[in-house]
Amino acid sequence: MRLSRRGFIRSSALLWLGFFGFKMRKEAPVLRPPGATRDFLARCIRCGKCGEACPYDSIKFFDISAGANVATPYINPLETPCYLCLQRTGEGKDEPLSEFLLCGEACPTGALKKIRNDRDTLLSLPDELKIGVSVLNRDICLAWQYDSCGECYYNCPLRDDAMLDYPPNEVIKGAVGIRPYVNEKHCVGCGMCNYVCPVNEKIARATMEPGRKLTYFEERYAAMVRNVIGKAGRGVRLPAVRVVKRV
Amino acid sequence: MKIKVIRRVVQLAVLAVLIAVPIYAQNPIEWAPSRIALGELPPPRVSRVWGDTWSFSFYGITITHPLAALEAVLAAKVVYLPLLMAALFPLIITLLLGRIFCSWLCPVGFLLELNQRLRGFLRKKGIARDVRLRDYRYHLLGFSLVLTFFFATPVVSAFDPPHVFGRELFYLFTYHSVSLGGITLLAGIFIFEALASERAWCRSFCPAGGFLSLLGAKRLLRIQKKKERCILCGECNIACPYNLRPVELGIDKDFNDKTCDNCGLCRDACPAGALYYTIRR
Repeated sequence: MRLSRRGFIRSSALLWLGFFGFKMRKEAPVLRPPGATRDFLARCIRCGKCGEACPYDSIKFFDISAGANVATPYINPLETPCYLCLQRTGEGKDEPLSEFLLCGEACPTGALKKIRNDRDTLLSLPDELKIGVSVLNRDICLAWQYDSCGECYYNCPLRDDAMLDYPPNEVIKGAVGIRPYVNEKHCVGCGMCNYVCPVNEKIARATMEPGRKLTYFEERYAAMVRNVIGKAGRGVRLPAVRVVKRV
Repeated sequence: MKIKVIRRVVQLAVLAVLIAVPIYAQNPIEWAPSRIALGELPPPRVSRVWGDTWSFSFYGITITHPLAALEAVLAAKVVYLPLLMAALFPLIITLLLGRIFCSWLCPVGFLLELNQRLRGFLRKKGIARDVRLRDYRYHLLGFSLVLTFFFATPVVSAFDPPHVFGRELFYLFTYHSVSLGGITLLAGIFIFEALASERAWCRSFCPAGGFLSLLGAKRLLRIQKKKERCILCGECNIACPYNLRPVELGIDKDFNDKTCDNCGLCRDACPAGALYYTIRR
């Protein structure tokens, strides 16, 4: 077959486009729902069913500005954390809502793996299927600094496994209360700790706003939060415990 | 009974499902951290019916658009068996009955049909024009699939209008916002069709429709003509949304092989009752 000049330019242009397309295509540095595989962007057909299945509407979707990531799901724990498809009964006990995590069950392409919704499976989840991992900054943590918090520990869905009340193999002088410690081996990155952590700008600003009625939660922490943020200085990443993507 | 009446009922039912599913799945309650710290989680809303025309689940039974399945396989270079099983049913339906998805189920196709009235009004006022377009559907489909393969990311999935429409409804009810990209695309299509070219998207651009056209090329269900009844009035030619010429059925052998979507408008339009559905000649 003879190739004309025009045909050659056309076909090579297509190749170049593919090459640059592959270079341009980037996985967004955000938290994907639980069970997201390594080739998530290739497998996701943008059907949006994970978001519909999510019982707490924790899963949000990208707009066109995200390029190749358009209409793919992400989780922002500061807006809404992933509740790991648990519901809390009257006695404060967490019970699974369904047999599998619902987003993984809804996914038609296997971009989100089906994960059995029980504690043992979640604790032994392979690292690449986890949402992320929590990172605790002891310098601005109220529990570590003032001995007067522990929200992250009490609200962790995998309490005493992913979040410990005291670091193992560490001796701390004068420790009375809780010293939260993230166990990276078991943390799935659901973001509950991130969500409830009082060291955030909203609470720091709450007392400064005139005419605002403070909630009990805000009143309790506002002064300490301002102190601790002031001490840490500008540029400190809030809140004290954040979920970051596993690498 | 006119086919169009049945078709409208089905289309309205699809639209109702597309609206009802996200309304049922939404969970409008968001609890502040302070309430969670008091030991309460928001009440969950578990629904078992998810999705839109791109992929739909009903209590564990999943149906996926064949093109979505093909794109996922091309992009990931991995075959995921449940996905193929989910695409099997629509695939068989399309192979047997042609691309009835376009004429009977597609919500955007339905709204674009209604959009024709606006176009008619604008044409009377002298605002709308008639731009003639060739059929670019197969070019766009091929281009998208090549991009899907090299980008390693599904392309048509991002912009397929019926899917975007379902997605925007879901965003609207669940997050009380719509995405800029999707709304721009849908509005662009509607305005372009109203002002510039009749049924431009379905006729000339829709890659998903092109894919279903290719699948349905050897379909069993077809429109056929009783020659002795035809009075050669040409009403069917005017009625056809794809500019096909049903009047030439049985005369021109190459008629209606791929583009016809079995909508039945020509059958309804025929004053002599010469056109009918049949199973393969």
